[in-house]
Amino acid sequence: MNPEPSNLSRRDFLSKSVATAGAGLVLGAPNILRAANSSSEDTINVALIGFGKQGDVLFNCLKNIPGLHFQAICDISKNSQNKFRSASRGMPNAEGAKIYMDIDELLATEKDLHAAVIATPDFWHSPHTVKCLEAGLNVYCEKMMSNTIDGARAMVKAMEKTGKLCQIGHQRRSNPRYRFTLDHLINGKKICGQIINANAQWNRALGSSQDIGGKKLAKSTIVPDDVLNKYGFKNMHQYLNWRYYRDLSGGPISDLGAHQIDIFNWFLGGAPKSVFASGGHSYFKEREHFDNVMAIFEYDTPQGNVRAFYQVLTTTSSGGGFWESFMGTEATIKISEISSSSAIYRESGEYVPSWDDLVNKGYVKKKPAPPKPDVSAGAVASYESKAPEVFELPGDLPVITLKSGNTTIKPAHQPHLENFFAAVRGKAKLNCDARHAFESEAPIFYVNPSALSGQPIVFTPEQLSV
Amino acid sequence: MSTESNECTESPCKESCCGGAKLGHVYGSLILRGWLAVRAIQTGIEKYSGLKATTQLVKVDGVANEQGLAADAAKEYALAHYHGVPKGLYDKFLTEPMMPKMMLPFYDKVLGPALIVLGLTILLGLAYRTSLFLLGGLYISLTWGLILIKQDDGVSWLGVHMILIVMALMLADQNRFSILKKW
Repeated sequence: MNPEPSNLSRRDFLSKSVATAGAGLVLGAPNILRAANSSSEDTINVALIGFGKQGDVLFNCLKNIPGLHFQAICDISKNSQNKFRSASRGMPNAEGAKIYMDIDELLATEKDLHAAVIATPDFWHSPHTVKCLEAGLNVYCEKMMSNTIDGARAMVKAMEKTGKLCQIGHQRRSNPRYRFTLDHLINGKKICGQIINANAQWNRALGSSQDIGGKKLAKSTIVPDDVLNKYGFKNMHQYLNWRYYRDLSGGPISDLGAHQIDIFNWFLGGAPKSVFASGGHSYFKEREHFDNVMAIFEYDTPQGNVRAFYQVLTTTSSGGGFWESFMGTEATIKISEISSSSAIYRESGEYVPSWDDLVNKGYVKKKPAPPKPDVSAGAVASYESKAPEVFELPGDLPVITLKSGNTTIKPAHQPHLENFFAAVRGKAKLNCDARHAFESEAPIFYVNPSALSGQPIVFTPEQLSV
Repeated sequence: MSTESNECTESPCKESCCGGAKLGHVYGSLILRGWLAVRAIQTGIEKYSGLKATTQLVKVDGVANEQGLAADAAKEYALAHYHGVPKGLYDKFLTEPMMPKMMLPFYDKVLGPALIVLGLTILLGLAYRTSLFLLGGLYISLTWGLILIKQDDGVSWLGVHMILIVMALMLADQNRFSILKKW
């Protein structure tokens, strides 16, 4: 069962606002102003939990969303706390934000919060989300939901028990390009015909896969050992590189793969029936997780059987980085968060209906034909299919004006955050609540076990259910 | 068959002494001056370029799409778009211990205007030698920044620019159509 879309009622807003204004009268003029600033009916008081690299990415999107008041942040690193101070300088809606090291203290002190945005390491996602939901906050939590499937289950249960909103950060689910592709091209016009295969990759270059930190850390970045130990890290290397440790994350297949395997499940309309994976410590031999993983998922869809191949490589960026591809009898849609990595290929042949009408009505745009391959260069021409025609989506994310006056294409995470806050205001339904995210993420938890055992795993309903 | 020599026999060079070779040097000087000027001016102008803000939704079958797909972005020039040092590089420079942090915002502000001004003074022949020298100094500063962040391709690219500036300075005696020849 999904929670109600609106969890922040007008009454909630007014009661919390009156309480805040009262506190301002007691504490003095600056607090009155701050209370007034945060008590507008449309204002949502937000706590940022975790302000590392991803927290910063989300904050750069949150800055562009009107009506948010950044009331408190929580991070165990003084360096990250200073980064927030620097990033929020000059922002009236972040002025006076209280900074905490401990989330329990934050939740015990800040009583008029409406929402929390969580961007902590994966192994903290579930405890932090559950705490915030139980404290009455609506939660936006980064993916992967948890480093364990039980942690993810706890998040779904907490969301449904509290009735609060919980959006998981699979941001492609709110991306206009992905939504347009699914709604209009795959489901609406069925331009792919029967989808028989899917293929996706995240190939990351060696240079981008190195350990963070190095041998000598700047003094300002060091978190004391007692603090690290209290929050589950053995040392600074583990704190900075938690993605490489089995107890702290699911490794590259969940860190990078979760985004794209989610697209398999979303576009194909359900979870796979099995997974067969292979992985290796092919280059980074000291790391606990596989550095390269390949997985094949099998689906039963209303159209028929589909095989989806996914690879995450941390030793090469070849093949164009990251994208997902859905291959049908009549067309293939290759899509990515990067529009230049996306294309739509129409099969040539009389059995494929003309797309002239689709072009005229604005569903797709035709791209110039690619150069013809040189058949004299060794290929046996008669065995080759005729090159498909290439098309593209008719638009992109909107261009927005930043407070600095500069313009930019709307950052990829922003539509998903906008959807979350619209849902908090009761004006939208979440695009990826915790239950739907769980249904999509559950199969990912079985990729590493399949690779470790070298055996395929055929899912039981219990394995994929809360 | 002509027996005239194209070699310059006078030092310093006098216009009447070397005929065709002289004309070649003049042409060489002018096209080099044009190239360096265009390179600097347009690079400076591009720092004022950006995307035109648009929220106009793409119409599909005559109806604006509900998914939020917007019309493709168009490029425009405006003061508000100014970005001296691209943000990605700026952020990298901030993490460099040798980079004077106080100077970075100033450098960011003056880089674009400096390129435009120096490009114009070179194009118009206004204190030509000094303008080339200052442009060389600007390219040295850019080179230093790229060395810091290990952008070797960019360093090589700027090295080519430096060679062209040195060639322009060597041909400066043959320069024509200048507003201010001094300096």
